[in-house]
Amino acid sequence: MADLTKLIPGQIALLQGNEAIARGALEAGVAFCAAYPGNPSSEILETLAESADSAGIYAEWSVNEKVALESAAAASFTGLRAMASMKQNGVNVAQDFICNLTISGSGPGGLVLITCDDPSSISSTNEQDARFIARLADLPLLEPSTPAEALAMVKFAFELSEEIRNLVVLRSVSRLSHTRAGLVPGKLPGERPKPYWDPKTSYFTMPVVPMHQKMHQKLARAGQIMAQTGFNRYEGPELPELLIIASGSSALYASEAIALLKADQKAGVLKLGCTWPLPAEMLLEHLAKTEQVLFAEEVDPFLESEIKAFYAQNVTQLGIKRFFGKASGSLASTGENSPGKLAAAIAGILGIDWRALDKDYADKATALVTALVPPREFGFCPGCPHRASYWAIKQTLAVDGRQGLVSGDIGCYSLGVLPTGFRRVNSVHCMGSGLGISSGLGQLGRFGFNQPVVSVVGDSTFYHAALPAMVNARWNQADYVLCVLDNSATAMTGFQPHPGTGQTASGQGGCKVDVESMCQALGLSYRIVDPYDLTATQEALYDALQEGGGLRVLIFRRVCALVQGRQGGHPYRMQIDQEACRGQECGCNRFCSRVFRCPGLVFDEASGVAAVDEVTCVGCGVCAQICPAGAIVAQPKEEVAA
Amino acid sequence: MAKASQVQRKPTAARLERLKTEVLDSGLCVACGACVGLCPHVLFYDGQVAAPDDCGLDQGRCYDLCPQALEPNQETRRKGLHALAGQEPNPPLGPYQAVWQAKAKSPDLAGRVQYGGVVSELMCLALDMEVVEEAVLTKAGRRGAPEGVRVRERAGVLEAAGSIYAAGASLAALNLALAEDSSHKLGLVGLPCQALAAAAMKAHQAYPAAAKRLSLVIGLFCTWNLPARGLRALLAAEGVDGPARKYDIPPPPAEVFLVETASASQEIPLAKVREKTLPGCAHCPDMTAELADISVGAMEGRPGWNTLLVRTPTGQRLVDEAVKRSLIVLEEPAQESLKHLRAAAEGKRTRAAAAWKER
Repeated sequence: MADLTKLIPGQIALLQGNEAIARGALEAGVAFCAAYPGNPSSEILETLAESADSAGIYAEWSVNEKVALESAAAASFTGLRAMASMKQNGVNVAQDFICNLTISGSGPGGLVLITCDDPSSISSTNEQDARFIARLADLPLLEPSTPAEALAMVKFAFELSEEIRNLVVLRSVSRLSHTRAGLVPGKLPGERPKPYWDPKTSYFTMPVVPMHQKMHQKLARAGQIMAQTGFNRYEGPELPELLIIASGSSALYASEAIALLKADQKAGVLKLGCTWPLPAEMLLEHLAKTEQVLFAEEVDPFLESEIKAFYAQNVTQLGIKRFFGKASGSLASTGENSPGKLAAAIAGILGIDWRALDKDYADKATALVTALVPPREFGFCPGCPHRASYWAIKQTLAVDGRQGLVSGDIGCYSLGVLPTGFRRVNSVHCMGSGLGISSGLGQLGRFGFNQPVVSVVGDSTFYHAALPAMVNARWNQADYVLCVLDNSATAMTGFQPHPGTGQTASGQGGCKVDVESMCQALGLSYRIVDPYDLTATQEALYDALQEGGGLRVLIFRRVCALVQGRQGGHPYRMQIDQEACRGQECGCNRFCSRVFRCPGLVFDEASGVAAVDEVTCVGCGVCAQICPAGAIVAQPKEEVAA
Repeated sequence: MAKASQVQRKPTAARLERLKTEVLDSGLCVACGACVGLCPHVLFYDGQVAAPDDCGLDQGRCYDLCPQALEPNQETRRKGLHALAGQEPNPPLGPYQAVWQAKAKSPDLAGRVQYGGVVSELMCLALDMEVVEEAVLTKAGRRGAPEGVRVRERAGVLEAAGSIYAAGASLAALNLALAEDSSHKLGLVGLPCQALAAAAMKAHQAYPAAAKRLSLVIGLFCTWNLPARGLRALLAAEGVDGPARKYDIPPPPAEVFLVETASASQEIPLAKVREKTLPGCAHCPDMTAELADISVGAMEGRPGWNTLLVRTPTGQRLVDEAVKRSLIVLEEPAQESLKHLRAAAEGKRTRAAAAWKER
């Protein structure tokens, strides 16, 4: 990420999709940008934050996406152009505000919402298509296919928002946000107005029904404006045998597929960039010219369903058509699209004999992959405090012996459901939901429920969503133990700052809001432990489990291993006394590498003993506490040097 | 609770998995500690044995040593272990060379020992004679629950004196001692289940250190034991104020469980205590620790005295030396008392046979 104000207008530059979105906002004169980290959206705010000083704008990591959008809306009310960016789950968090904002309308300053979705759930807990929000809240929707288009669409989005006085949604996906392409940046604007909100102007949603009516009219007006843009384009024969209606990355895949199949005389692509409201005129024109339609989009059949409904409305005019897409099984209902999947679908419909891979080659490749490629599971980094935390939780719940449950949450520590976290976590859903679930479980004692409950939450999630659930637990006296895994970072998304770190997006100090202050404010008993000290942590957790009677908090405080790596690293050089190591015998059986599973520990098949992978091990010293033979030794680094 | 044979769904050779299925998850563990301290897969804390992970080995000591394991059953094991020692099983009291009433004489035992102080005095003598250099005993830990302790001197032995009435997995301490790179001899004071496990350790092919180094086992009479947490909860429910210094079960017809703290002495109805006993104890046929070198218990009708069963030459030598040094006094036991002792032991044997059959 760099200061995007340094780009030279008119000179081609290689930009990531997210950088293009950020640059588009700058060129549109955005003044206020807010976001919460979430892959694949994070680079948008990161870039704007780095450009903030030069551009004279405000870029903020907000505590969650709802507050981010609300803050941006406020700027819009004062006449400043504002933008909020998030991943698909963030749209869920902001949804209540969106559904009211669309009735009240935005302000004189254009307001744009960027949602970066994650088809195939490369880095998410769900695979959710956030385009629904446009239909739900009657908002204009833009779907760029390339970084250059994203830049242009962002600029347009601000203008459109000001025309109709409503929020405009621009939707990206991983393959766009994280791809890089050449594009030509434009000029940055000059002055911006001073923010002012005339007190005689109000933004509220009542009377609701007439304002709802007005909302529909705004959307129709937006459709008229969008029809003039040229973001919807057709390429292909005049009367295609197959019309592919596609949006976003899928439009590019469709074009590539047609080229692969040499089907450019038979198939054409109607690339839609303005996808809501549906471009009625254009659809009528192109539907009339074909008898077969294939819908290519990710992930939900959003256009597919809406256009089929539109078709039904106009069926007498259009006649019988055959529709292909997710409903027909031509393309999958889950996961990303790809050029190969599009090619297979098109070939199937047009009866073209085509195979992505030669069968012989495919069989051989599959066999080799199965035999030679080692299984790679998600894992905590070497030295990760979460490994130590989950170890302590697993051991303590085991000796507690009452079949305790662990309610998990969102962050690196979500991996507690996997072997790296000893599969100890029993539930993971969305930000803060771990505490809500624990709050419910903590009331079931009256029905005879006697399994102790441990809730695990990270420090960033704590501020994002956990606080209301904590108040609920305190107020309704829910019985559970909350473990706050405080590693001083929003690690999973790239070490963005949060209230507990005292840093803000601009890199300058903000007011620190620490976890223990929140606990004190709520009158909760809490203890701070160091997860690297397994015994102390286990004892503290065991004590908390025996206490009962309401919410108890343990703060597991230890800096993220990667952050520690940037701050001078860990203090030890780990070594294994191979004589003492028990290897595969009864008494161990590779406990360190097989059960504890730190990637810094490996088992040497040849010698039958454990070894430290010196490239991977960071020297945190935790494994020395779990070896039954005391064969793992943590030597302080200064001693080693001397 | 499900029968162990029902709980086992698919046959598995993995030792720890069998231990979990048959014993730990079936609620039959008596926290003797035989499986603890062998490896990091089995944990013991505040009275509870747990095994959160799988070790995956098909051969291993934990299952083989567990007194509660299904295969081979207790009767078969015991027969085999007695045979190894050249003994006949000799129910109901097990094999013995002599039986006495006994009492230790040293004044420093007063107020610290349960009855006659014979266990403590004999173990001290064993240390003194270097029959053993370290003794594994049981003592209340940080949270008040018992745990194994290793001592080398009289002071340490006396600190661990007195009946505890809760399971402390003290064999864990024995396992840890045996894992050390040392050759010094070890002694154990343990319950009947622990004496069985100790004999199994000495006989186990994969545990040569036990055969080499475990030189003396003093067993305690036991009818049943309590889980540490269960006892703690019971005491709290009965309003016992402060940590218990001494427990006792006076002879019938008292039917009470006596608890002494620093400030008070309290009687709890024995029926309430029996409700809380470890379910696994119902499967144990052994009241007098038949596989020990020496077994010691109360002397019916004679407070301050012990019943002493001498079972092996090792035991005999120790007792002879104790008499020679005037450390203990021996008297012929009353025939009535012996009759009652046999009846009690027979009763436990019968109950256990029924419980194993049902299992």
